[in-house]
Amino acid sequence: MSDVNDCSTEDNQGVRLVRVRGEVDLSWSQRLRKSVLEALASNKPVAVDLSAVTYIDSSGIAALVEGFQNARGKSQRFSLVAVSKPVHAVLELARLDRVFPIFASLEDAVK
Amino acid sequence: MSTPATLLPAPTGLARIGPEEVGILADFSHAFAASLDVGETLRRAVVQIAEHMNAEAAAVFLVDHVAGDIVCRACAGPVDVVGLRVQAGRGIVGRAIAENRVQMVRDTALDPDHLGDQGGFHTRSILCAPLDTADGAIGALQVLNKRDGALFDSHDANVLRLLAVPTALALNNARLTRELVEQNRIKREFQLARQMQKTLLPARRRDFPVTALNLPAREISGDFYDYFEVADGRIAFCLGDVAGKGMDAALLMVRASSCLRWVGKDGTPPGEWLTRVNRELSETVTRGMFVCAVAGYYDPRTSMIEMANAGFPPLLLRRGDESMRELRADGPPLGILGDYGYNSERLALAGGCLYAFSDGVTDVRGPDRKPIGIEGVRALVDRVSGLSPRARVRAIVGHLRKMSLADDTTLMLIADDAAPSRYLGGLAGSSDPENLRLVRRKVAELTLDLGFDECQRQRIVLAVDEAVANVIRHAYAGCCDGRVELSIWLDPDAVRFELRDYASPVDPDKIRPRDLSECRPGGLGVNLIDTVMDRWLFRHPDDGAGNQLTMIKRLP
Repeated sequence: MSDVNDCSTEDNQGVRLVRVRGEVDLSWSQRLRKSVLEALASNKPVAVDLSAVTYIDSSGIAALVEGFQNARGKSQRFSLVAVSKPVHAVLELARLDRVFPIFASLEDAVK
Repeated sequence: MSTPATLLPAPTGLARIGPEEVGILADFSHAFAASLDVGETLRRAVVQIAEHMNAEAAAVFLVDHVAGDIVCRACAGPVDVVGLRVQAGRGIVGRAIAENRVQMVRDTALDPDHLGDQGGFHTRSILCAPLDTADGAIGALQVLNKRDGALFDSHDANVLRLLAVPTALALNNARLTRELVEQNRIKREFQLARQMQKTLLPARRRDFPVTALNLPAREISGDFYDYFEVADGRIAFCLGDVAGKGMDAALLMVRASSCLRWVGKDGTPPGEWLTRVNRELSETVTRGMFVCAVAGYYDPRTSMIEMANAGFPPLLLRRGDESMRELRADGPPLGILGDYGYNSERLALAGGCLYAFSDGVTDVRGPDRKPIGIEGVRALVDRVSGLSPRARVRAIVGHLRKMSLADDTTLMLIADDAAPSRYLGGLAGSSDPENLRLVRRKVAELTLDLGFDECQRQRIVLAVDEAVANVIRHAYAGCCDGRVELSIWLDPDAVRFELRDYASPVDPDKIRPRDLSECRPGGLGVNLIDTVMDRWLFRHPDDGAGNQLTMIKRLP
């Protein structure tokens, strides 16, 4: 379990990829929100890699929901990739696991 | 003589009333206004009336509503007739009052209504004016025999009618004052009765399985409850509701509660207990009055309850597994069928709680103005079940008081779920989001050995994190220097999280899980708490500051 929260953005296979790591809670979810909204401003397809997220709470989920709605409004692709088990458990609990396009990897997302 | 009696025409104005009459009228009105003793003023007034009207005798008669007749209150003349009683409607005075009109009898021998002479005084002629008030005639002013053999005329009638006005006013004021004094006296009596009733209720006992509360709708109550230990170690309890809520109901309440206590002290089985009290009350209670009651014993060693129910509203048994059972009455209220035999019922409390409510609780009207009914009471019981028994009573009463209470309201709890809780640990700190990580570590650590699997534990950590985040975000509005306290307790069948803040009170009704079918950011936290926890209760703490959230997760 990493104690370091991090959020980085890169272009990978024509997709703007936001990599998130650590524990996303109220103290840090604004950073995730900002990164997601900035990535969406590029008008490229956006994917959020959640493989290294060990914890997410409703404020983190809210940042993802906002990104998803923002992308849908301008027909931009927005997906979650490599969702870690803890994140998936929360998405399921909030019944959002069927709302987001979720892919096992970035490769699956760009197919 | 012409006609025996002359019914005077409608008032013809005061044209013939001279300065002399105005003078006596002023004296009269002043005497009544200045005196506190209406009786004495009346006695002096009749003397003045007789003098002024040049009559041999004068008298004031008043209607006695209690005795239903007319009685002489003051008189002037050769014969004292004070205290003389005349049947209502009889005699010239009775006629004046009944018709509320002045009567002039110029020759009593010709008037069949004349009742005859009193004490050797020969009445030749009578002039009698009613004492008129807003409530009708309350009596009459009467003069007898104009001196020197003359006859009363219509001028005399007008003068007497005029003098009757301040007399009636003064008497009416005196009556209202008497009534007010009487009302105040009755009010004081009611307050004393209420204090007396309160002393009949048992004193509250700490760490006792039975807790009860009574809220009277008026000064006095028709509801009662009692609990006491019997010789074999069981705890006897009874709860009753007397039909009606006036003084009659309160007096019957005293009788019924003494009877119940007397019979219950011997440990008499509940069915027989109520059968005996019913027989006693049926013999003596006024027809149409009855008492709904439940009585029984709780054995703390075996957690068994044995009870009988005479027309009392259904009791609710909430078990540790959260199942809820309604226990309905098995017989009619006490005082109706004297030979009825009531049955005892046995049930295991099994870590649960028995709730008894008088119908004042089910009849409480909710925001839609409809009685909340047994369903509303069930919801209330569910809502408070995470609290200690005493806190449950207070929380229920708090909820009831927000609605409109119309009847006496009494509730009793017999709790077998009051086993002591163990403090697992907790932490207190500032409302800084950076502290959420510490909260999660603490909750994960303290829930490690409680039998939850990893997935359940993660969910519990999430729910508590959401609760603290809500305090930071909403109660403290993002301000980082508020105080947040979290304590974690192990109850007999659950782990309990108590989260306390000292922010401005938040309206509990605003804290509701949102509809998950709409996809939007925000508002998810309460939903996650609601999904993960078995029960949660948001309230304002008893000491008044801030907010308290209790979250309960049943042990696996």
